[in-house]
This record gives sequence, structure tokens and C-alpha cells, in this order.
Amino acid sequence: MNTRRARLRISGMVLVVFLMVTVFVVRLVDIQVVRADELNAQSLEKRAQELITYGVRGEIVDAHGAVLADSVERYDITVSPRASLARENAMGVIADGLARIAAVTKQDPDDLMAVILADPASDFEYLTQGVTLDTFRAVDALEIPWVYFELRNGRSYPNGEVAGNLVGFIGTDGPQAGLEYTEDACLASTDGVSIFEKGEDGVRIPGSEVTTREPTNGGTLRLTIDRDLQWWVQQRMEQAAQQLGATWATAVVIRVSDGKLMAVTDYPTVDPNNVNDAPREALGSVAFTTPYEPGSTIKVLTAASLLDAGVVNQSSQILAPYSREFPGAGVISNAFYGPDQLTLAGALVESSNTAIAGFSELLAPEARHDYLAGFGFGEYTEVGFNGESSGTLYPASEWDRRTNYTVQFGQGMTATSVQMASAYQTLANGGVRMPVSLLEGCEWPDGTVTEAPLTEGTRVVSETAARQTVEMMEMVATSSGSAPNLQIPGYRVAVKSGTAEVAEAGGYADNKVVLSYAGMAPAEDPQYAVVVTAGVNDRVFSGRIASTFRDVMAQTLTTFRVPPSTTPSPNLPLTW
Amino acid sequence: MSANLAYARPLRNEPSRDADRQHVQQRGAARGRPTHIEIVTTRAQRNARPKLAYSVITIVSLFLIFAGQLLLSIVVSDGAYQLSGLQVQQKDLLRTEQALLEKLQILGSTQHLAANAAHLGMVPGSNPLYLDLSTGAVSSAPGTADPFGCGGGCSVVANSLLTGVPLVDAASAAAQTAALAAQAAAVAPASPQPEALHATAAQSVPIANPDVLPAPLTN
Repeated sequence: MNTRRARLRISGMVLVVFLMVTVFVVRLVDIQVVRADELNAQSLEKRAQELITYGVRGEIVDAHGAVLADSVERYDITVSPRASLARENAMGVIADGLARIAAVTKQDPDDLMAVILADPASDFEYLTQGVTLDTFRAVDALEIPWVYFELRNGRSYPNGEVAGNLVGFIGTDGPQAGLEYTEDACLASTDGVSIFEKGEDGVRIPGSEVTTREPTNGGTLRLTIDRDLQWWVQQRMEQAAQQLGATWATAVVIRVSDGKLMAVTDYPTVDPNNVNDAPREALGSVAFTTPYEPGSTIKVLTAASLLDAGVVNQSSQILAPYSREFPGAGVISNAFYGPDQLTLAGALVESSNTAIAGFSELLAPEARHDYLAGFGFGEYTEVGFNGESSGTLYPASEWDRRTNYTVQFGQGMTATSVQMASAYQTLANGGVRMPVSLLEGCEWPDGTVTEAPLTEGTRVVSETAARQTVEMMEMVATSSGSAPNLQIPGYRVAVKSGTAEVAEAGGYADNKVVLSYAGMAPAEDPQYAVVVTAGVNDRVFSGRIASTFRDVMAQTLTTFRVPPSTTPSPNLPLTW
Repeated sequence: MSANLAYARPLRNEPSRDADRQHVQQRGAARGRPTHIEIVTTRAQRNARPKLAYSVITIVSLFLIFAGQLLLSIVVSDGAYQLSGLQVQQKDLLRTEQALLEKLQILGSTQHLAANAAHLGMVPGSNPLYLDLSTGAVSSAPGTADPFGCGGGCSVVANSLLTGVPLVDAASAAAQTAALAAQAAAVAPASPQPEALHATAAQSVPIANPDVLPAPLTN
């Protein structure tokens, strides 16, 4: 052996080793660096499982947190007809399985069989949709291999019809009505996605979970509504409506100090759990969406306007016969015969159209229009309810000579029940109109609150004008024909009735009226204003719902524990 | 590095290395074999040689490390199964909780409470009184009108979720309470007493009636 050959051999070996290492390094760099992303993606594809994590739609709760709308988990039971029919002795096995499922879901096994036979090649058909956890677990326990389950988010309204008019409902295509629809931005959740790697047996590999998008839950929508009062008023209004044979009836309870709605009820009302059985007119809130000519309940607002303008006082006198011809406006008549020589207070107690029309002549139409607009007529309320109506209040320049008078007793203009409640809130609140609110706010999971109610009030009439008007309204409660049905022992009540004719094509209908009572209590320091209204296809008068107003007002005072009045009602002269 | 290794290569007959050759020839002659060369290590070199213990320790610890790692990964993957099982359990329990909450809300609905109250013979309060704790003043409220005389039982405000939900039955509720009380009475003596001395004292204490609010014992 010579050293030279040995060296050559060693060099050769080193070279070979070096070349091999080079090849490996190149390959390594190629795999680990150059094609790393592509290969990682490929391998992940084999192991990774995408998981959709569902956010939860927010709750709708009343002022005290009672749940009016809640998200619930529901399950769809699905079947693979192809897989089921591929089994040995398929028909026998299927019939047996379906019979056991039907026993749990209380369906007809033949109907389920029809689902399977309808499209034998299909891999996916619904046996039933939206079952509860109990049913799902019972069916799951049957361990039928060709039956599958799907989770879906459902919505439950634990209180049924209570506030169903306000809450609205969700259809198969998402929110359909009410606050569910208009406040979707608050309530809606977004789904998240996380990816994890799973082993051969489907168990996720520890530490492999990567959340690419967090699910977000919806906010909690808190209403100003008191659930129990809403229920009581709704029940009372439904009873009244059935007694009167009314086609619709609404009631609004509003807190005087801040314009928050305590109860807004409609008859008929939808049960959001069971929308299909509800009549079409029950799907919204008539109190917000359907304006009517309010009639005599407007008279107190006319009186407040005239008092504020300083053109009248409580005992201003007017000669108000049963009917009187006004120049260019035709004959205006009262509903009843009564005394002719009335004061302003007497005009309200007697609800005299001729007296109010006569007093209206003391103030220019533009000024009277502006007062009515100030009370909120012709404008949408701050609530912005789904399908809300602004009612109609034409500009004074468009009033014809008859409308010039009739608008002051609530014909020739329209308003919603909520607008009426807001106007009475203004009078009760010393002439300051507070923005109407139905929402306390949207409470987000992180503790922030959005959509908080507006708190800036606007003065419409002076405090004196408002107080004097409320005093005159007390005379209605103590001296009018319906006074016996308006007494709440211990409390001073201020109220005004209205029996409005309903406009139809070519004039006013003979046998359709809108009955309403609106007022506030306790009169010396009003806390709550209430408006009850019913549409009746009959020639009846407002006295028919006086006791309904009283009951709703009494329940409101009881619910909120308003202390009784300590001073007696005033006694204003009604005639001269 | 090469200092403790003997350097050797086959010797040729070179006079200069006579002494070495003689020595080797002597050893070869002693074994009756031809001349043979062997490296002889010095004592220092022998001492410097790596001991077997070290390699044993190294191999054993390597083995232990591998075994430990294996066990660790078994534990971790076992934990993954446990985790996965617990997550399934958690999901299941959350679902149960939600379903129960849903039921509770339905049972707590105003309609259900009102109907039950009416069913048990309760009537709306017609003349409630309120005591103002700050002033001590008593005031009355108008109370709840009941013009149709059905109280909460009118059921005009529908709730389809209450379909099939039974009303409470006063008699069966009382029987259920009695059964629970009996069950409690049966269980109480059998439950282990902390000390034998207290056994008699504990048994002499009457079993609390679940219907009655517990009142503190005072002297």
C-alpha cells in the first residue's frame, strides 16, 4: 500500500460523502423552505378539520331582564334514503326504524316512509326539523345508522303573545318583523371558524387548534317595557275588544318623566312562536303603524295651545249651541245636546265641537299648526318602529276652511296611538315633550351600551298652560257623563275621551268609529300617561271603554307603586 | 491525542532496533509461534482508557430518555382523548343547561304563573297597602281590577309554548312534598354521623319540614 493511493481513496470517499450531503441539503432546502408552504398545506388538508363555531343571537329582555326572546338550540333529523335502502332486508329495517322514530317525534310512520321513498337515490332528506334536545337525544339513543342530525339555531319566545307585537319574529329567511327586524344590528351574531388537526380516529391532536375567526355573540336588547304590565294590559284590552266587538284595540302606557314606553299592546297580537296561525293584521304593531283620526282627544291639546298663546283662560266663555254654521266651513255639530254657555273647561267636559271650533278662531291657523306639530303630530316618533307611520298633519296653508276647524278636534288629521301618548306625556310633563323610547339600549358582551334613549326634551307649551289643561282634564274625570267609570279611589285622574269618525272614500263611514280615552295620573303630579283605543264597526260612543282606561291606569299605578294623591281635585266652572 | 497510543508498524531486521527485536523474539519463542508484534500499553495508558461504566451510563440514560419521551407522548395523547371526552361532556352539559333554562323560562312566563295562581285559588290583590320603610308611611294602591272575575285564569293572552304544560295540582304537590320529607327522614339516620357521641344528639333533632323556613334557635 502506498500513501498516495490511500490519500486518493480518502479524497474520493470525502468527495462522495460531500456530494451525498449536498444532494440531501438541496433536497432538504427544497422541502423545508422552497416548497414548504405547498407541502404543509397538502398535509394539513389531510389532517385538518374546519369547525364552524356558532355565535349566539342576543336576547330581547324587558326593563327588568325578563326574557322575551331567546336563542335556543334545535335539531333537524335527517335521513339518507340511499344508505337506508342499500341495507339487507331494507324495507323491514326501515319500517322498524321509522316506527321507533315516529313514536318519539309523534309523527306518522307512513309520512316518514314517504320521505324516504320520494327520492331513493338521495343522500339527504329531512325527517323532521327543529326538534328539542329531549327529542334529539331520544332519537339519537335509537342508534339507527342511516339517520343523521343537524344542529340549528332556533328562537324561542317564552312569554308567547306578551309583547309579541313589539318583539316580532324570525322566519326561515331571518328576522321578519318588529324589533327582531329593526334591531338586527344589535342582536345578530357572527359565526366563527376554527381549524384543528385530527388523528386517524378523529380525535383532535393536542395543541393543533387554530381559531381563524372568533364567533361573536349578539347584544342583549333591553326594552323599556314592563313584561307583567304589558301582559295585564294586553289581557284587559283583549277582553275589552271582545266585549266591544272591536276589530282592533291598542293601549299605550308611557312614563311622563322620560317618555319611556311601559306597555304598548295591540289586539290582535301575534304569538311569535306560532306565526302561521296569526292573522295578517296581527303581525305588526297597530299602535305604531296605523294612524287614525283621533277625534276629541285632540281638544285638550287645542286648549293647551290656546292657553299657551294667552288667548284664553280656563274660564273663558263661549256660546256653543248643538250645531253652528261657521263661515265657509259649513255646519259643525256636537255629538250630544248639552248646555250652550260653556267655559273652556266646560267645552272639554262636554266635548263640544262648536265650542272648540269657536275658541280656535282666536289663534291663527299657522300658530295652531305649529303647536300640533310640536306635540309630535305629522312626524315619526324617535322609536322608529318597523313600519311606523308618521300620521298626517297637513301644513296650515293646505287646510281648507272646514279642516281649519275640524283639525282642532281631531278630524282631518291622523295620528298613531303612540303619538297620542307622546302628546299627553307632554301635557303631563309640564309642557316638555320627551323623546319617545322603546329601548333602554343594546347591551354588548363587553359591557358597553349603545342605542341608549335620547334624553333631550323640547318645550311645547308653558308649564302653566300644561298644568291648567291637566286641571281641566280632571273636570272631565269628575264631571263628565262617564265620570263614574273613571274613578280610581285615592288618585286624581285627568282624562279626555274621543269618539272619532272613520274616513272612507267619499266621506265618513256611518257605522265605524274609533273610541279612545287618554289621560294621566295622579293629576297633581302626573307620573304615567295612558291611551286606550279601539276600532269598532258600530255606532257606539267612547264611554264604552272608560272603564278599560280606568283599569289600565289603576294597574299602572299599582305596578309602579305610585303614592296616592293628597290634595283634592279643583272645581272649575263649566258653564256661565 | 496520539500521545497515549503506541505507534507500531511491522519491524524489519534493522540492527539499530536490536534490543526490541530480541524482546519480541523472546516472547514469540515462549508461545512457540513465529515473531508477532503486539501493542503494549503503559499503565498510564491503561488507566486513561474509557471505562465500561461510562458507556453503560450513557446508553442507559439514552434509553431512559427515549422511554421517558415515549411515555410522555403516550400521556399527552391520552390527555388528548381525555380532553376530547371532557369537551364532549361539557358540550352535552351546556346543552342540557340551555334546555333546562328554556324550560324554566317557559314555566316562569307570566301566563303560566298567572294561570297557576288562579288554579290554586289566588285572586288579584284588590287593595294592596305599601309601607314606606324610610318614612314609615303606609299608602294604598288602586289594586288590580278583575272585571271578568277570572283573575289570571282568563288565558286570553296566548302562549303556544305552554301547550301541554300541566298546571300545578295542589294535592299532588302536597303529596310530593310529603314524599320528599319522608325520603329525607329515611336518609338522615342512615347518613354517617361524624362521631358516635353525637349520634344521639343528632337523632333527637327533628327533621326539618321542607315547607317551613328554618328558624334559628334562640334562648
